[in-house]
Amino acid sequence: MLGLDRDAWFLLLPALIPVLVLSVGPLVYGMALAFTDAQSGVTRSTSFTGLDNFADLRLDSLFWDSFRIGLVWAVCVTALQLLLSLGLALLLNQNLRFRWLARTLALVPWAMPEVVVGIMWRLVYNPDAGILNNTLRHLHLTSGHTDWLSSLTLALPAVIVVGVWAGMPQTTVVLLAGLQNVPVELHEAAGIDGAGLWRRFTHVTWPAIRPVVLSITALNFIWNFNSFGLVFVLTSGGPGGKTRLPMLFAYEEAFRYGQYGYAAAMGLVMIAVIAVLLTVFLRNRLKEADQ
Amino acid sequence: MSTAAAPVPEQQAARPAPAAPSSSPGRRVLRRRAGRTGQYAALLCYLVFLAFPLLWLVSTAFKSPRELGSVDPTWLPRHPTLGNFRTALDEQPLLHAALNSLLVAGAAALVSVAVAVPASYAMVRFRGAVSRAGTGWILVSQMFPLVLIIIPLFMVLKNLHLIDSRPGLVVVYVVWTLPFVLWMLQSYVRAVPVSLEEAAAIDGCGRWRTLRSVVLPLLAPGLVATLMFAFVTAWNEFFFALVLLKTPEKQTMSVILTHFTGAEGAADLGPLAAAALLATIPSLVFFALLQKRLVGGMLSGAVKG
Amino acid sequence: MIRRRSLLGGAAATAAAAAASPLLAGCGSSSGSGAPRLDFLSLAWQEESVKANKALVSQWNAAHPEVQVRYVQGSWDDVHDQLLTSFEGGAAPDVIHDEGNDLTDFGSGGYLADLTGLLPAATRARIPGAAWDMARFADGLYGVPFLQEPRMLIANRTLLDKAGVHLPDAARPWTWQEFEDICKELSHGGSAARYGVAWPMSSPVSVTLNLAVTTGGRVLYATKDGRTQVRLDAADSAFPELVRRQVGADRSAPSSALGMSGGEVLPGFFAGRYAMLPLNLSYRQQIAQQAPKGFDWVTLPLPVGTGAPDGGRAQGVSPQTLSVSQSCKHKEAAAAFIDFMTQTPHLVQLATGDWMAPTGTDALRDPALTTDKLGWSTGMAVASHLVASPALGRRGYPEWSDKVATPALQEFYSGAISLESLRTKLVRDGNRVFDRYRS
Repeated sequence: MLGLDRDAWFLLLPALIPVLVLSVGPLVYGMALAFTDAQSGVTRSTSFTGLDNFADLRLDSLFWDSFRIGLVWAVCVTALQLLLSLGLALLLNQNLRFRWLARTLALVPWAMPEVVVGIMWRLVYNPDAGILNNTLRHLHLTSGHTDWLSSLTLALPAVIVVGVWAGMPQTTVVLLAGLQNVPVELHEAAGIDGAGLWRRFTHVTWPAIRPVVLSITALNFIWNFNSFGLVFVLTSGGPGGKTRLPMLFAYEEAFRYGQYGYAAAMGLVMIAVIAVLLTVFLRNRLKEADQ
Repeated sequence: MSTAAAPVPEQQAARPAPAAPSSSPGRRVLRRRAGRTGQYAALLCYLVFLAFPLLWLVSTAFKSPRELGSVDPTWLPRHPTLGNFRTALDEQPLLHAALNSLLVAGAAALVSVAVAVPASYAMVRFRGAVSRAGTGWILVSQMFPLVLIIIPLFMVLKNLHLIDSRPGLVVVYVVWTLPFVLWMLQSYVRAVPVSLEEAAAIDGCGRWRTLRSVVLPLLAPGLVATLMFAFVTAWNEFFFALVLLKTPEKQTMSVILTHFTGAEGAADLGPLAAAALLATIPSLVFFALLQKRLVGGMLSGAVKG
Repeated sequence: MIRRRSLLGGAAATAAAAAASPLLAGCGSSSGSGAPRLDFLSLAWQEESVKANKALVSQWNAAHPEVQVRYVQGSWDDVHDQLLTSFEGGAAPDVIHDEGNDLTDFGSGGYLADLTGLLPAATRARIPGAAWDMARFADGLYGVPFLQEPRMLIANRTLLDKAGVHLPDAARPWTWQEFEDICKELSHGGSAARYGVAWPMSSPVSVTLNLAVTTGGRVLYATKDGRTQVRLDAADSAFPELVRRQVGADRSAPSSALGMSGGEVLPGFFAGRYAMLPLNLSYRQQIAQQAPKGFDWVTLPLPVGTGAPDGGRAQGVSPQTLSVSQSCKHKEAAAAFIDFMTQTPHLVQLATGDWMAPTGTDALRDPALTTDKLGWSTGMAVASHLVASPALGRRGYPEWSDKVATPALQEFYSGAISLESLRTKLVRDGNRVFDRYRS
């Protein structure tokens, strides 16, 4: 059956059933909405409208502006997350003292509930009483009244920092687990051969963790592109729409304005674009799955 | 990254220092010590960046309302008070909610990883249409706006009588965390050499025994990482819990926390910080207990064996 | 044409084929015995008001064993999403605490019961017509407005006294012109700059609309056929222009406050950086709690526009409301519970707990709320002039607010665009948005 033997089906089944009922079903339904004019409200009827939503979307310049912001946000956050987390994971893989404490503390952003994270960072960025401005003032680096979240130029970088902060733990943990695949013997052998740190990294460590890096980066990119909760708490998409991420756009379209059909069309367009980007990024892994 | 591939020290120390062409052994030790210091410094920078909001949370939780209104905030509360904790515990059923969260998140994490291990193994080892469809689903399900899924999902759950029930929430969390867990486990499974399994098969192990006694131990660090992920995701998850649970006694921690916030960004900061601190501690303890298992180092053992 | 219900039901049934079971309709609030049980979703969040709400619910339960009410805690942050999902899924709470702006879509979407024939005459008499207007849309009454809060000026009395400023009272508030002059006087630059006022504008649209009413404007107008029209004439733009002048030309208001919420400007106020804050009435609670010892503050009426209706005292407001969901099976019982919650002594209790103003005519005059302490009496005097916010009942307002008005006003206040281009954006782009909601 579909190239699988009986054993394989048994292995897949426990995951397959809940996924089909609770994920694939709603997902297909949600996508189907993109071709209708579905709206909220019990009194409104729904009809099939073909590609109308997509035609409207093509001309929706606000959406495409927000799409560009979303790409900048997702690429920056994902890249910084990967670089910083890789460094941290390599450090935490060393036999340092208090390693257990460092590992636990490194996961702090993960342990803090999102609603609290947003409020905490708003406190940090508060122009009058925030610790960031306060510290900068004490160090005489700035006048100490920088307006982080409502300045047209600083708002996006400021929320990117929070995005990187919030996403680092899971990337770090995944990479740390991936580093366990690096055969110690190879390392030692390379060390004996007199290979430098960089050479050892590129020749031994990197090939071993590459699959994990690819996987987590792909997922991080999707997640970051799709996330908006944190940014919404921080800036509500302002100032002047400079931090209005596309998923926030879709969310508001669906839940605040009740335009389910149009929001679903946005969802599909975003999937299409991300899918193209990911296919390029993951072509090797996908090829491997095909063989 | 200069610290990139520094070798595991004990093993190296146990070995007679190999003749180094360019530098004397003494210099090497010196250089290594400098490297060590650099590593600690880098680690410290990371920890300051990652953990300072927690310190700020602790500090806020012990401050009086008057101090919270100060324009010149200090790290150490000038007049520490337990008032916020008293208010928080008094106002909302925090401990009960924490227990709910623990049950739901714990169950969801275990079930999710339990069903994902065989599935991810199958998806890696038996490539074909189903694997491809699975990969596609994993990615698409993470890309599509949640808000458009929530209403049909709600209807399905209602037909299954899973609204307003904690088991229902567990099922949703399992499905919700599965894409990540499957996706990551696949990369860990892929790192297990097929030759090991073939060797086991030659030794007469069936597929099930191979999976249990050869593959599973090698996956340990990956399992722990994904388990942590599933637990934390479920522990922090908010929206499903909000719309699926109605009975106040069933509510989870993340939903209770929003009860300390008002309209237009207003928040009862002190009690919120106190409650948030209470919500953060269980995860941190869980991390502290599990982090050791992140590093199994079993693969090298297996290869040697 | 497919009806939306059947579409949803169809998908759900397919997906749940394995465990298909008859659809259980209704709000799920009835216990098996047939005695009604109502779920009351409350959004009270400050300690005192949660206590007041819970106390009233137990009082009701003790007096009405035949209709039990269960207190369910909600949160302002996410009530809209929670309600929309449970309305669509058919499992909504029976009695709903929400605010006027949210009623527009939920009411016209058919999720809320029309209370016109359900409320006892006593309830209707208790609350004045101006308040009922806040919850009545084209074809029905979708909630009972019970709490409201005007915007006040909270001032640092020490700074004002030092500058020799004569404090206004509810009988004779400042005009906006006087206010602007006083702010200029109170401001000075330098390293420890001080500003006469700080405008916390984290959600600029509602403030702008509600305070435009004090200068005789509305920005959002209803046409005869029930459609919405956006205008920005002199009366509409007088208030936004004032803020812009204060931030840009006078330098009597800091631009950094524009992105902050009410709570976030408080530390600067306590430190003497801002002399006055235009804040909602209920912020007095936070100020009373957080102000440093010896900090002398006073609650003043908001300035008024000259030549506006009601002497410029009328501000727009979106009240807190109690509604009954359409899917509730015991609507009379739910309406009776709302009547109980809004009886004068109970309104006073709830208003005290939230530091807000009640809507009821008698409740507004209650001695407990008209003490001179902590600005209560000034607050009640200003509250008696409140009218419905121009945004209420306007379908499409959330979309206009998010997509058009918020970014445009943020850019205008910070000085990035001119009044002319603000007008173009609000009106031209705005009318385009509202046209989508014509049906």
